[in-house]
Amino acid sequence: MYLEALYMQKPPVWVICPAFNEAATIASVVADLRRCRYNVVVVDDGSTDATRHVAASVATALVAHPVNLGQGAALKTGIDYALSQGAEILVTFDADGQHRAEDIARLVRALRQEQADFALGSRRLGQSRNMPFARRVFLFAATLFTVATTGLCLTDTHNGLRAFTRRGASVLSFRQNRMAHASEILTDIAHSGLRYTEVPVTVDYTSYSLAKGQGTADLVMILLDLFARKLHR
Amino acid sequence: MIAQAILSLLLCCVLIYSWAEYRRSPAVALLSFIAGLAGLYFIWMPSHSTQVAEFIGIGRGADLIMYLWVCISLIVLLNLHLKLRSQHEVITALARAIALANAYSATEGARLRSNEHATAKRTPADKALPLSRDASTVDSTLV
Repeated sequence: MYLEALYMQKPPVWVICPAFNEAATIASVVADLRRCRYNVVVVDDGSTDATRHVAASVATALVAHPVNLGQGAALKTGIDYALSQGAEILVTFDADGQHRAEDIARLVRALRQEQADFALGSRRLGQSRNMPFARRVFLFAATLFTVATTGLCLTDTHNGLRAFTRRGASVLSFRQNRMAHASEILTDIAHSGLRYTEVPVTVDYTSYSLAKGQGTADLVMILLDLFARKLHR
Repeated sequence: MIAQAILSLLLCCVLIYSWAEYRRSPAVALLSFIAGLAGLYFIWMPSHSTQVAEFIGIGRGADLIMYLWVCISLIVLLNLHLKLRSQHEVITALARAIALANAYSATEGARLRSNEHATAKRTPADKALPLSRDASTVDSTLV
């Protein structure tokens, strides 16, 4: 009876942390999440460094791709695993330390309060520290493009921090293995017609996350990926 | 005459290929069959290609052939790209299945580790697992 009440209050939240050669940051990122009492599944995307050994000692669970497939594929693997473990709320969280574990509680609260299936982090509503100008322009262009193609009303389309329900997870297709999955998720949300909401979050830009993140040149690759998808259909 | 013989031989190979390909994808087979036949025709009747070219407003027969060739290669490229994509989807599904089958969870971890120590002799199949707790075997499988 007591357990049931607890369960009703706190649905199982699983945080999915895709990591590719993140041995330097993964331990502290996962430790922060564990401190906030979340289940954390680290998806090692074929790293060649010690990522999986470091992650195995701190995460709730570790799933490892035998070869590098891309962040989109890693997210999908993590989601499949979390669903198999009975997750009711799923959170995607970058492993490079740019997100804050405290923001997850706000995303989860937004899901419940607004009866939404997706809560998307937005650094425009929230804060971004030390964001370089080139990155700002790149994100603005990406946001314009995605808003124009999906018709969703969003302020930040390429934020790695999102929360969604089990039902929300079922409409995500993840056919884009590489970075174009961020736009693909939004396309899927738009097609599903499920309710979504944006939540202000803080993104910390460090020299490490900037070096790992996408450069402006990657925009071309993302556009190519999306174009290929249109052809494929 | 020598060039004509060699080209005819190559185009005959294309015809054989189209015949073999018919069961897998009739559209590709039909296209390559038509292209092969047209090629054979123009090799032995070069003047006709010039007539066709003039009829549709291109200067020379050789130009017509070149334009057609560019179009055909682009279609082949696109087809290859789509094939690669679908193949990559298969690889992704495969890698995901392997990853999920070897998922390591902290609660089961202790049990798994003790099992590992209990079974002193490990089979080669165990060593090939992508998720090994032993650093040395991971390195040997990755490198």
